Amino acid sequence: MINNLVFSILIFIGLYAIYIKRNMIKIVIGLSILESAVFFWVIATNDNGGKLPFYQVAQNGIEMIDALPQALTLTGIVIGASTTALLLTFIIELDKFTGTHNLDNLKGLDD
Amino acid sequence: MHKNFKKIAAVVVFILMGIAFYENFQLMPAYKGLGEGVSNYIIHNGLYDTGSLNLITAVLYDYRAFDSLGESTVIFGAVSGIVLILSRKMLPVSSRGLSFIVKRTLGIITPFIALFSIYVITHGHISPGGGFQGGVILASISIIFIVIYGSAFDYTMLSPDKKTFLETSGALTFLFIGFLGIALDGVFLNNLNIFNGKIGSLFSGGSIPIINIAIGLKVGAGLAIIFYSMIQKTLERSWVNHD
Repeated sequence: MINNLVFSILIFIGLYAIYIKRNMIKIVIGLSILESAVFFWVIATNDNGGKLPFYQVAQNGIEMIDALPQALTLTGIVIGASTTALLLTFIIELDKFTGTHNLDNLKGLDD
Repeated sequence: MHKNFKKIAAVVVFILMGIAFYENFQLMPAYKGLGEGVSNYIIHNGLYDTGSLNLITAVLYDYRAFDSLGESTVIFGAVSGIVLILSRKMLPVSSRGLSFIVKRTLGIITPFIALFSIYVITHGHISPGGGFQGGVILASISIIFIVIYGSAFDYTMLSPDKKTFLETSGALTFLFIGFLGIALDGVFLNNLNIFNGKIGSLFSGGSIPIINIAIGLKVGAGLAIIFYSMIQKTLERSWVNHD
């Protein structure tokens, strides 16, 4: 239950930052919070209280944790880092050309 | 007033969305444990199928190696885009570094960071870690060079051209292993019988250690190129403004 509650709150914060904030850096931060919400949910709901997913651990009678969600989350984290870097690069270049990284101050699209 | 109304309406909508998310996810079936399904198969047969004690590495580089290949392609695309946008001219000098004390201290620590990253990469199949994690530690060495010693030092130690070569060679090694699987066993990215030592030793796990090293080089060089491109451009611009 607490997993779904924290997931919903993180989703709310991410959507708020994406749709309300006009600073592009804050929009990227909101996107990262959305990603973190999904990763948190995938890891937390598959938590069975086990230890590391190693074979020796299981032979000693200790329960292993599920290896599949962790591998998928690792994939997602790396892709999230790449896309965040690319978005920040776009913002740097836009700031260089227009002098602002605020969506309200962007001019020149309507002339 | 008008702007505030829009903001409040959006907040109300998002709160309702959050409640809807919560209610819907409460309806999902609870976690059943490891007794059935793919997870059960991986936990019981992963060691014998792949020879890798670390089951996450077994999933990443053997069962779902094709996904890892696509993932490294995503990193390659991101790095290519960033380099294309940011570094039209690769100036060797952009930052000047910190004080003498910091430089000496990091000079002592940096070789151990490099050793740790090599350990994490090469022991990815028998201990926690792997190519992605070790690659990020490897990239932190380049970030230390840029921040502490100035990016001219990083340029002389390992220029962006050499980093690009390392990244491309990592990706090509991964692809080569995949096509070698076709040539030898008839399956793309099949786990080749290259390192067939005792399970738990360093030279075990088939082709997993080679893929780990390739991914480590690729991620480390890619993140180093991203950081170098970004800090070079931004610092260059702030100099132009102040001088």
